[in-house]
Amino acid sequence: MTRLLAHDSILVSLVVVLFGMATVPVALRTGRRNLLPYAFAAVYTNFFLISVAAIGMVYALVTHDFSIGYVAQVGSRSTPLLFTVISLWGALEGSILFWAWVLSMYAAAVVWINSRRPGNLVPYAAATLLFVSFFFAILLLGPADPFGSVSPVPADGPGPNPLLQNHILMAIHPPLLYLGYVGMSVPFAFAIGAMLSGEVETDDWMRLTRRWTLSAWGFLSAAIIAGMWWSYEVLGWGGYWAWDPVENASFLPWLTATAFLHSAMVQERRGMLRLWNLNLVVGTFLLTILGTFLTRSGIVSSVHAFTTGTIGYFFLAFIAIVMLASLAMVAGNSERLRSTGRFDSPASRETVFLLNNLFLTAFMFTVLTGTLFPLVAEAIKGVKVSVGEPFFNRMSLPIVVTLLFLMGVGPALPWKSASKAELKAKLLPPAIGAALFLVIGVVAGARNVYSLLAFTFAGYAAFANLREYWIGMRARHTAHGEGWGTALVRLVGGNKHRYGGYTAHLGVILVALGVAASSTFRTEHEATIKPGETISVSGHTLRLKSMWGREEKQRSVVGATLEVMNGAAVRGTMEPHMNFYPMSQAPVPTPAVRSGFLGDLYVNLQAFRPDGSNATIRVIYEPLVPWIWFGGGVVVFGALIAIFPSGMFSARRVEA
Amino acid sequence: MTRLLAAVAYASLGAIGALGSASQQQSPADSVLEARTAVIAAQLRCPVCQGLSIQDSPSELSQQMRAVVKDQLRAGKTPEDVKAFFVSKYGEWILLEPKAQGFNMLVYALPVLLVLLGLGVVIVSVRKWTKPTTPA
Repeated sequence: MTRLLAHDSILVSLVVVLFGMATVPVALRTGRRNLLPYAFAAVYTNFFLISVAAIGMVYALVTHDFSIGYVAQVGSRSTPLLFTVISLWGALEGSILFWAWVLSMYAAAVVWINSRRPGNLVPYAAATLLFVSFFFAILLLGPADPFGSVSPVPADGPGPNPLLQNHILMAIHPPLLYLGYVGMSVPFAFAIGAMLSGEVETDDWMRLTRRWTLSAWGFLSAAIIAGMWWSYEVLGWGGYWAWDPVENASFLPWLTATAFLHSAMVQERRGMLRLWNLNLVVGTFLLTILGTFLTRSGIVSSVHAFTTGTIGYFFLAFIAIVMLASLAMVAGNSERLRSTGRFDSPASRETVFLLNNLFLTAFMFTVLTGTLFPLVAEAIKGVKVSVGEPFFNRMSLPIVVTLLFLMGVGPALPWKSASKAELKAKLLPPAIGAALFLVIGVVAGARNVYSLLAFTFAGYAAFANLREYWIGMRARHTAHGEGWGTALVRLVGGNKHRYGGYTAHLGVILVALGVAASSTFRTEHEATIKPGETISVSGHTLRLKSMWGREEKQRSVVGATLEVMNGAAVRGTMEPHMNFYPMSQAPVPTPAVRSGFLGDLYVNLQAFRPDGSNATIRVIYEPLVPWIWFGGGVVVFGALIAIFPSGMFSARRVEA
Repeated sequence: MTRLLAAVAYASLGAIGALGSASQQQSPADSVLEARTAVIAAQLRCPVCQGLSIQDSPSELSQQMRAVVKDQLRAGKTPEDVKAFFVSKYGEWILLEPKAQGFNMLVYALPVLLVLLGLGVVIVSVRKWTKPTTPA
């Protein structure tokens, strides 16, 4: 019953989507705009139908309807309810359904908010989103059908992948990721809409696009940080980023979207980079599709894994169609996309934005090359090679420190041009921060040149961005006699884009400091100890108190209780454990983490003797890792400031 | 309880391998060896993980492979020897960073070329856009 209802909803949605897509050009080309509401209705109907399918799937999961293929694949009677619900995105078919659902929701939101807007932009954008929906509906009816029937119906299923049911962050990270990832379809739809409607030179579509990009970017930033945190809390290796293809896939569109958020300002201010911006928007969307393809077709493990399924070909065909169609449209609009503006001086914020875009794009290209190279090598040379962490660190560190430096220089430089005296007055003071952070790094023991550069430039950027707040607040304080708090609120409220951006910068700096410190100063020690014995790392001593085992509904748990020692006194206990799931050979480690302001004590149970007579424990001291999570929050807060509706603070501004 | 016992027995198989190699008493020579092991282990791929090195991975196989690295270093082998041993066993795939030679040069050269090309474009563009339009 559920199966038929959900499956038929997708089938009907295919018809609805095609109808909506066809209605838009007919309405606009023949001047019958009164048909447009039908196209918009198709967008809402599609949202309704995909919601029926998605909620149907959740219902099937919760009621353990193992006659449905996907439920039989990821469901289990012993899995706790929360993890049963979130196994909606635990495997290929479900995640494609979730993609389609989020997409239909975005499309409905775009139409809901903008349908009364004059011009042809929004109808064409809606048609574009329907086109993307069409692709996903095809996937759901063909190679990624979650509602296939199973016969005979099994009594129970294996449950979701153990890694995905071991931590609560798996309920948070994927929805954020999809909201960010799929959200990039909206800027793409506006870009296509602007080109089809000939509104590409109005710059009005840019303001719309920027806003939607910003919200998707905020979600994606949060998702990447949440994914890092999940990796840190679940994989037991004490790290948060391994340059795994799945991680890279989430990072690639983030880089181009970040580039766009900066270069969009150059277009807004100087009427330049129109063509480039359009390419960034289309490129970001293509990278989200490529990322889904890479992570969902199985191709990253091997070229041969790809050829066993058909879904990869659908993705490749879709990517090719989007690329060719976009190129043709860009070519058709080349006259309108010609840049009209000029730069006043090389020493200006505009130039820094160009360099920012260069290095963000180069970063994306480096990660993309490294991610795809094993596939290329296998396809062309027949050799299996790995491109992993050492490669990505070597190649990306120079880019990262350059970007950190630019993040300090950009906000300090004025638009248009700056005199020599101005340059000095703006660029020199943050050097205090650079010197301060460099000294701290050296004293703490950093000798690696990239670590020292990272601390130096992070210090420079931190001071440069903070100084912008300070200068603005001081001006309001002296001019209007406002208190410092009032001055800050009104300063930020008066130019939310600008100060939201600086806030995001501060968040990125915190993340950079956390990453630099934890990779430079991380100390670890592994030892096999008996109960009563101790293990130490950089001044932290842990005593193994006992080993224990416990049986839970869906898994077995074996753990160690360790006491955190301060001299002879016990400061607290930590309980790293291993979770054994019946469907998985290897246990899922569950490290214990004790956070402080300056770092985490991270303990993982590596192995143990079954009689409990000893345990192999890895203890890692992870400096500044909590700053990464906090910094991620600051980045998202910055995005929120920038998105906040205008007028929120305007009443206050009138008072002032 | 049977499941727990089975699980425990399974885990212990790996644990025994890891036992002999680690001890809580550390002499300076031991910590030097541990550091040298860590450097090499960070360059070798854990065969059963998603792109983690055997240094980072907590899996049993990685623990055993780290022990092999340590033993070979203790026996006087050079880091190059140790890596060559693993390449002969698993193929080039075991190295997390591809050797910078032959076809592999592409993956190193392409990003550098793009940056150089991009810098050229930025310099030319900025020059063009800042050139006075009317002759002075």
